[in-house]
Amino acid sequence: MSEMRHATSEELLALRDGEGSAWTREHVAACAACAAGLEDLEQMRSRLRALPSFAPPRDRWPVVEQAARSERRRRRFSAGIGTLAAAAVLVLGFAVLRHPKAPEDAAVRQAMAESAAMEQVFRSLQPDQRALTGRTAGVVADLEDRLAQVDAALNDPSALRADPERVAGLWKQRAGLLSALVDVHETRATYAGL
Amino acid sequence: MTETLPLAEAKSLVARARAGDFGALERLYRTYERPVYTLARRLTRSAEDAEDVLQETFLEVCRSLRQWRGDGSLWGWIRTIAASKALMRYRREKLREWEPLDDDVARAGEDVPLRMDLEAALQRLPERSRAVVWLHDVEGYTHEEIAELMGMTTSFSKSQLARAHDRLRRWLGAGVEG
Repeated sequence: MSEMRHATSEELLALRDGEGSAWTREHVAACAACAAGLEDLEQMRSRLRALPSFAPPRDRWPVVEQAARSERRRRRFSAGIGTLAAAAVLVLGFAVLRHPKAPEDAAVRQAMAESAAMEQVFRSLQPDQRALTGRTAGVVADLEDRLAQVDAALNDPSALRADPERVAGLWKQRAGLLSALVDVHETRATYAGL
Repeated sequence: MTETLPLAEAKSLVARARAGDFGALERLYRTYERPVYTLARRLTRSAEDAEDVLQETFLEVCRSLRQWRGDGSLWGWIRTIAASKALMRYRREKLREWEPLDDDVARAGEDVPLRMDLEAALQRLPERSRAVVWLHDVEGYTHEEIAELMGMTTSFSKSQLARAHDRLRRWLGAGVEG
């Protein structure tokens, strides 16, 4: 007569979880050692579930809140940046067309092209899909504030007629701020998501 | 772990949070910070890693609130985000220490009789074994769900669970209270 095989742990666990085979069920009913093994597995699960929970050692809510506010603000900013820039381009483009020969217009067009190129790079980084630490988020928020101020100034339709040099300077400033944002996102941000 | 917020209250808080109410978001955070941190402690190597998972989880919750449809447990949804974030750390580290650690534990734990409490024994398990035990026996995930979370097969999950229980039983002594 051959020696009886005992159930493996995997078979006993399946039985404990309600998925055991008919053989395991019948074997455990007849084998005291395997019945004790099954009881141990049930006890172990109960003991694991009874372990105390852990309290976080530090309050992380302020960091979470700051980062969440920055991300929300960044998403709004990303959605708005195109609209602002497009409006500015339309206004200034129209103004440049009306005064095509002014030497300052060439400088404005050049600065606008630099800004547009940098904006394309910035968008290609998908800034709204990136996670920032609290400190980096502060740097980004500051750059975005300054960019918003520049865009507001560029949206003034009388700006080009009044001071074309200043407008060229604003576009250059805009390209510089976008370049700084690109730098921050390339070096300090990571892609977010599950 | 049972649901800690009634569904109606969870829905109301999520709706307010979606609309930008940070008070509602904080209430969600305060409700779930402890269970998320506990899960993260069980699935990661250190308290620092678990704190990072806690932070990453709630940032993801803030980003993804619209994805919770309100027809299931809010805790179940948040828990899966937390488990994904914790297990993603394994993947980032390319699992390089898992197998050697597994062997080290086998050598140290199976030849020498050890007496320890359950907390210490659980901590001594290799990370992925501990993760499988915790997700299956405590959180109630199926082997199929664990396999999906870990990017492994269901037979892998089953064999890890069995090996982990074999070790726990040896280290603690069958039938001895931990």
